[in-house]
Amino acid sequence: MVIVLAAVVLGGLAWLISRQRGGAASTRIESAPPRLPDRPFGGKPVPAGERPGGRIVVSGLTKEYRGVKAVDNLSFVVEPGRVTGFLGPNGAGKTTTLRMLLGLVEPTSGTATIGGADYAGLDQPVRRVGGVLEASAAHKGRTGRDHLRVICQSAGIPLVRADEVLELVGLTAAGRRPFGGYSLGMRQRLGVAAALIGDPQVLVLDEPANGLDPEGIRWMRDLLRTLAGHGRTVLVSSHLLAEMEQLADDLVIIAAGQLAAQGTVASIISSMARGGRALVRTPETEKLAAELGSDAVVTPAGDGMVSITGVDAVAIGDAAQRAGIAIHQLVTERPDLEAAYLELTAGKAAIR
Amino acid sequence: MTLLDSPALDQARGTGTTPLRLVRAEIMKIRTTNTWWLFLIGFTVFTALALTSNGFSHHYELYPQHDTSDRAQALAQAAQARTPAGAAAIAASMMTSGQFLGVLFAMILGVLLMTNEFAHQTATATFLTVPRRATVILAKLAAAACSGALFWLAATVISGVTTPFYLHSQHISTALTGWIVVRSVLLNLLAFVLWAIFGLGLGTLIRSQVISVAAALAAYLGGFAAVELIFHGIYYFYPHGWVLGGPVIAPAVAANVMITPGRAFPHAPPQWAGLVIMLGYVLVLTAAGVALTSRRDVTLRDVLTSALRACQDSATAHVV
Repeated sequence: MVIVLAAVVLGGLAWLISRQRGGAASTRIESAPPRLPDRPFGGKPVPAGERPGGRIVVSGLTKEYRGVKAVDNLSFVVEPGRVTGFLGPNGAGKTTTLRMLLGLVEPTSGTATIGGADYAGLDQPVRRVGGVLEASAAHKGRTGRDHLRVICQSAGIPLVRADEVLELVGLTAAGRRPFGGYSLGMRQRLGVAAALIGDPQVLVLDEPANGLDPEGIRWMRDLLRTLAGHGRTVLVSSHLLAEMEQLADDLVIIAAGQLAAQGTVASIISSMARGGRALVRTPETEKLAAELGSDAVVTPAGDGMVSITGVDAVAIGDAAQRAGIAIHQLVTERPDLEAAYLELTAGKAAIR
Repeated sequence: MTLLDSPALDQARGTGTTPLRLVRAEIMKIRTTNTWWLFLIGFTVFTALALTSNGFSHHYELYPQHDTSDRAQALAQAAQARTPAGAAAIAASMMTSGQFLGVLFAMILGVLLMTNEFAHQTATATFLTVPRRATVILAKLAAAACSGALFWLAATVISGVTTPFYLHSQHISTALTGWIVVRSVLLNLLAFVLWAIFGLGLGTLIRSQVISVAAALAAYLGGFAAVELIFHGIYYFYPHGWVLGGPVIAPAVAANVMITPGRAFPHAPPQWAGLVIMLGYVLVLTAAGVALTSRRDVTLRDVLTSALRACQDSATAHVV
């Protein structure tokens, strides 16, 4: 008798576990992306000075996994009121760094602080820092709204805040559907909603543009720019350069776990001035080369043009006038972020 | 609606995480998936089956069949069952119907309470909200205890409603409020709560849901047979009575000793020893789980899977 009952119970338990694991994942909802509020982010800008404690300081941060340094003596600072792009090729250690910053991964050495404190040492972390780490981070059988309400309950924030942030990210209509049916874009929005629950002064986002359609990417960009405009600190990682060039004020570029460059977008580009060149069309190439002197390197660029590096366009124009040379065309090629980025991270993108 | 204009947050100034809120959040996690009602339905059906089976077996105990081989002994047993003590024992047995396998439900729910955080990658959200991981586990422990108690309540209500009718139909008169019955029901509660916490502790140690559930089942069902075999083997070479009490070191046997008044089996250690050993298991598992969870990264696997996803995304982007 006991054996029969045991078999029934074990079979039943196996079925129950398989049910609750799969949950509602099989009923995937394919719906149009939720409509965005027309003016989603109004509000009065708050000067950076009124939001203290939003500075992120990473100092000598190192994480070793079985002899491999995923992050290697990394130091940088992220200022409030600005969007800071955290760039690097896949496997450069971006996610590990952000996880150490948020107290999820223990550093081998070094520190990462937010407003001078460890994440784990923050009094009410949800009210100080919002983290968006991975898109598929809710129980598939739980509704998006309930996922947010659980966070509210844990943090001691009234549960109606869940509905507020759902509206903020345009997910109100999908809020009562199971997370398993969400598209990747909806999952990202839910992650952002969760991060905004405590109205934090610091936002840390890992690859938030992943899986978003162009409208979603634009929405995310507007959101992050608005948040930074309110004096918040926004640190956002990406391997997509074009997106960062449009979004970020500052850049932290890492490769192979080490800092490759840090500064404003403009300063990083100009620091790569060696890569800049001018394309010149002139009938008297040799004469121009002689006039420019030994600083300039003149090489044929095809189509009757020459490429000149080592001097800027102003010097070329002045030299041409001094020598009485006709210039038919003068094009300066500013090194873009992509070129700078590829140069900085060259050969370090391999899976380690 | 703007970011800086939140009625909910204005209301929330000066509040934050408290132990009670965390426990409520953990209970909310159980409540907001289909897990708990699937388990409760399964458990209820099982308890009803066990109650029926238990009822039949006591019926044959009270009214031996005519073709029983040793009729004299069967009648003696029936007479024994009709004494006040025998009647109370039957009432207690009916009131705790299905206990042997019922606590499995509570234990597995305890396991899932923890392993779901990793199976569904919600651990990140959980530990971002409350970075002090020991606090989270203690809240889960309280939630597991509550759900264990809920299973007990469901079983006790079902048994409590049917047992008086059963006893009446078998022409036995005994009060369900007698100490023997109440004690059995309370020990039953203790078993449900301790097994639920045991499951949670196991879940904190073994993050893989499948392995964790398998280990829980092995600890409960396999534990009996394995330790019996080992200690009878030892007894064969070293025939001292107390050796046969040795199986109590297995959690399942310890729990059995704990809930059985008197001696659970020949040479069994006293009841309190079972309780002490069971409490020891729960404490050690929980402490080890807290220590391990506090130190373990959340999580290399997550990092790897998200890195893999990023690779796939960029690969797709290049193809496009």
